[in-house]
Amino acid sequence: EDILLPAPQNISILSTNMKHFLTWSPVIVQGQTVRYSVEFQGEYEREYANESWIPICECSLITATVCNITEDISATVAYNLRVRADVGARRSEWGTLKGFFNRITTSLTPPLMKVIADGYHLLVELEDMGPAFQFCVLYWKKGQESRMQQKVVKEVSSVVHLDTMEAGPDYCVKAQTYVEAINRSSSFSQTQCVRAQGSTSMWL
Amino acid sequence: SGELYCSLPNPRNVHFESINMKNVLHWSAPEGTGDGVLYKVKYSVYGVGRWIRKPECRNINSTWCDLSNETSDYEDQYYASVKAFLNGMCSDWMETTRFNPLTDTKIGPPMVNVSSTEKSISIILTAPEKWKRSPEEESVSLLQVYPGLQYNVSVLNKKTKKRWWFSVSNNTLVVPWLEPGTAYCVSAQIHVTTPLLYSGFSKEYCIATLRDK
Amino acid sequence: SVTEIRSGFTAIKANIQARDTIRTLSILSHPHSLHKVKPLDRCCITHQLFNFYVDKVFKHCKTEDSFVNRKISSIANSFLSVKRKLGQCHEQNKCLCGQESAEKFKQILANYEGLNVTSAAIKSLGELDILLDWIEKS
Repeated sequence: EDILLPAPQNISILSTNMKHFLTWSPVIVQGQTVRYSVEFQGEYEREYANESWIPICECSLITATVCNITEDISATVAYNLRVRADVGARRSEWGTLKGFFNRITTSLTPPLMKVIADGYHLLVELEDMGPAFQFCVLYWKKGQESRMQQKVVKEVSSVVHLDTMEAGPDYCVKAQTYVEAINRSSSFSQTQCVRAQGSTSMWL
Repeated sequence: SGELYCSLPNPRNVHFESINMKNVLHWSAPEGTGDGVLYKVKYSVYGVGRWIRKPECRNINSTWCDLSNETSDYEDQYYASVKAFLNGMCSDWMETTRFNPLTDTKIGPPMVNVSSTEKSISIILTAPEKWKRSPEEESVSLLQVYPGLQYNVSVLNKKTKKRWWFSVSNNTLVVPWLEPGTAYCVSAQIHVTTPLLYSGFSKEYCIATLRDK
Repeated sequence: SVTEIRSGFTAIKANIQARDTIRTLSILSHPHSLHKVKPLDRCCITHQLFNFYVDKVFKHCKTEDSFVNRKISSIANSFLSVKRKLGQCHEQNKCLCGQESAEKFKQILANYEGLNVTSAAIKSLGELDILLDWIEKS
């Protein structure tokens, strides 16, 4: 008599910087390859489309126990996710994520940043984190924290010009990411300070 | 008018090519037909019932037809269609996909004007103009069409080979505190955030800061 | 966000518009163009249109193409998210509906109900660029 295939367990989401991954524990069937399929359901489907589920074809009958769901979690609403296992003709029940997932809970890390002094010019190099990200860059003359200036960088294209510097004082810079779609910011990066007249970026 | 016997192969790849809302219909000749094929063109405004013939593109042998005048209202969307004729035979009408001038046009690069002093360069950026019927007609800058238009400006120090990037919303940029007697090359691109549109980069304009007196 | 709706729609625009073979009718642009709506009525019409798409349109747009279906889901859920925000404005009396906007929306509904439900839904979905162009215009 066919033993029912157990549904995948420990289903959870790893979400960092608006990249979302569904993971689960493998279903063990001795000597056989287990394959998994993933489906999602947004709030729209629950409330307006008869609680329908939508398959993610990139995660259909896969052997991995992780699925990149970033493309489908593309609205700031509560999503349901589920996984089932297949071995040959045997199929498990759906294992469903406990609770919903809303991308507003993604964890945002401070941006990688490099501050450069090129002559009298203060520049910053920021990591490209994708179209959803903007950067809020704060810079000030060391000791004059109260006169901090801000620049919003919407497009990261290698070295971005911040401002000109007077010769002599140190200029300090820190940055945070901002994601408009969820209206949240990361914490600030570590502060980096440089000085005009050709000094390269250094930690002070 | 009685239609001719329509078994001629169809014109292919009928589509709009649009730059700064100069909207030109293009197509390829029907497969296997040599010279002598003639074409006629019609267009329609999406949501409005009538096809309208384009007299200037009746019985033409070229494979393009400028419909800028007929598609200049960018709050509307359009279809266009082409029919081929050869030796008493004709093809079917072949249509474009729905053309939305606002989202489907390509934006040309901005004009860049650079001047310098001893220690600074000044850059004036000008967005291209929307296509217009005649030189006398009032110009409309694409800045008026796309209020969110911005410029990405690249400034290259030819001596150090270092390139800096600026993102500006207004059309002037002054880069002070530069090295005297040094060549800087400037290039700029237009970026519209929504609808998402990028122009190509302008030609590079190089200028040297004046030498120390 | 509206930007995400725009990028989701751009990915399926050609596919959806190709399914709409009725060139002579429009839901949003003819005979009465959205662009004729007065600034005062913009918020109300926007709110009503987001409700219209969520309540009436998306559920009738299922296709045989799983990529298109996923993008429609993405758009629909983004609409739901924006609709909620507009609803809050409405509740705070910041998005009031007058006679003219009611009349305008009635015309849109009449255009919609003049077609069979699937054709009307696909046509409305194919006209999202018209809606987004209008929303982003000011």
